[in-house]
Amino acid sequence: MPARTDAAADWLAVRPTHAMAARFVDWAVDTEGSSRSSALIRIGLAMLFWSRWAGELLLYRDQSPAGLFLAANFFVATMLLFVGYHSRVAAVWAGSVGLAMYYYFGFQLGREPWTHHHAYLLAVAALLIALTPCGRSYSLDRYLAVAHAERMGVPPPAERGNLWGLRLIVAQLSVLYFFAAFDKSSHAFLSGARIEQIFLWFYDGSDYPAGLALPATIVSFGVVGLEYGLAFGLPFRATRRYLVLPGLAFHAIIYLTLPVYTFSATMALLYLAYFDADAVDRVIARLQGIGSAGIAREEIS
Amino acid sequence: MADIISIGTGAEPAGRLSAGRLRLVAFTAIAAFMVAGPAAEQIFGVQTPWLRSWTMFSAIGLGVIDASFEIRRPDGPLVPLDRFELLGAPRNGRLKRIESSEELASVIKRLCIAAGQGADIRVRARQGTRSGWQTIHTDAQNACAD
Repeated sequence: MPARTDAAADWLAVRPTHAMAARFVDWAVDTEGSSRSSALIRIGLAMLFWSRWAGELLLYRDQSPAGLFLAANFFVATMLLFVGYHSRVAAVWAGSVGLAMYYYFGFQLGREPWTHHHAYLLAVAALLIALTPCGRSYSLDRYLAVAHAERMGVPPPAERGNLWGLRLIVAQLSVLYFFAAFDKSSHAFLSGARIEQIFLWFYDGSDYPAGLALPATIVSFGVVGLEYGLAFGLPFRATRRYLVLPGLAFHAIIYLTLPVYTFSATMALLYLAYFDADAVDRVIARLQGIGSAGIAREEIS
Repeated sequence: MADIISIGTGAEPAGRLSAGRLRLVAFTAIAAFMVAGPAAEQIFGVQTPWLRSWTMFSAIGLGVIDASFEIRRPDGPLVPLDRFELLGAPRNGRLKRIESSEELASVIKRLCIAAGQGADIRVRARQGTRSGWQTIHTDAQNACAD
């Protein structure tokens, strides 16, 4: 009989685990929602690609065959991504160009700034947005789909789709925050020494300013605590509401004080992935006085 | 997550089940790759450009030298020495940030020459390293006597 009791206890213990796993799987790969937040990220990423690299890839800058090939691919892929023509293919194309710039031109050919975090993040974000219905809203794809539906006399397709790409963006951001904090969880950083060094490097040179030690230590603890908080708290609605503004402020401060290129802006843009896509859709609909994708879906079904 | 889960599609046709499983496998593989990069470097010490470590701001500021200079007055006491003033260098020029011990040695040499023979200049300096600050020069001795 004791064995039966154990089995019952095991069953009771396993059941919530299974339920939690099922909920996770449902969240990760089985959720459908509005495509508008994915589309906004798609458009924002195209603009960030241009902001970061367009100036360096103008055709006169590198007239070698490899340079021209890279520039042609970059501008065609990002233009398609921006206007949303074959959007998901364009996202894969743009992300692949970004990875080629990061790995080949950056690491192999020595263009050091292209090996930085911001470059990798942009490329990976483009690849992940390809896994979303990013072309079903705010795109030439959408325009063509609506025009086709009108010609056929049927309702336009719903601006909805599976959101597993957004979930992967959430996973990527949490991994990024966690390991950024984990790397800083050392005496060297928490003592304030690394913040002091960074401050001297960019601001005061070799003259250590009086009174820097205490603020540097406080900032160090604050940064590490915030990054751990963002890693574990942003995916959940209950904690997200307290973390979004500190997170955005954190990236804004980094952007203003350190040369992080497009990193902060990319992170801020990708924060859209944390929010319920249908809630984002409702906000857009309310602001613009238009119907939401949810309404469109109901009209169709 | 609850807010997001609530909009799930629920039961799906049998034909789409395999697509869902495929997505789950792909999701797991991609997420594992995301974790593998930083874990490889930060936990197992494997450094490769193929994996992103997310060790942000880990190299910026390394090598920078925090230095302070003092000069002994003819009547005995040590007083702070303004290296920019003594060398007639702009405060936002190359002398502002000393980035290596060789550069520090060069600055000390120039200061000693500018201060004149017999000058007593004391230098306290530490260099930024990955593990914190490392003292590279103490003011125990006259730097111009080296």
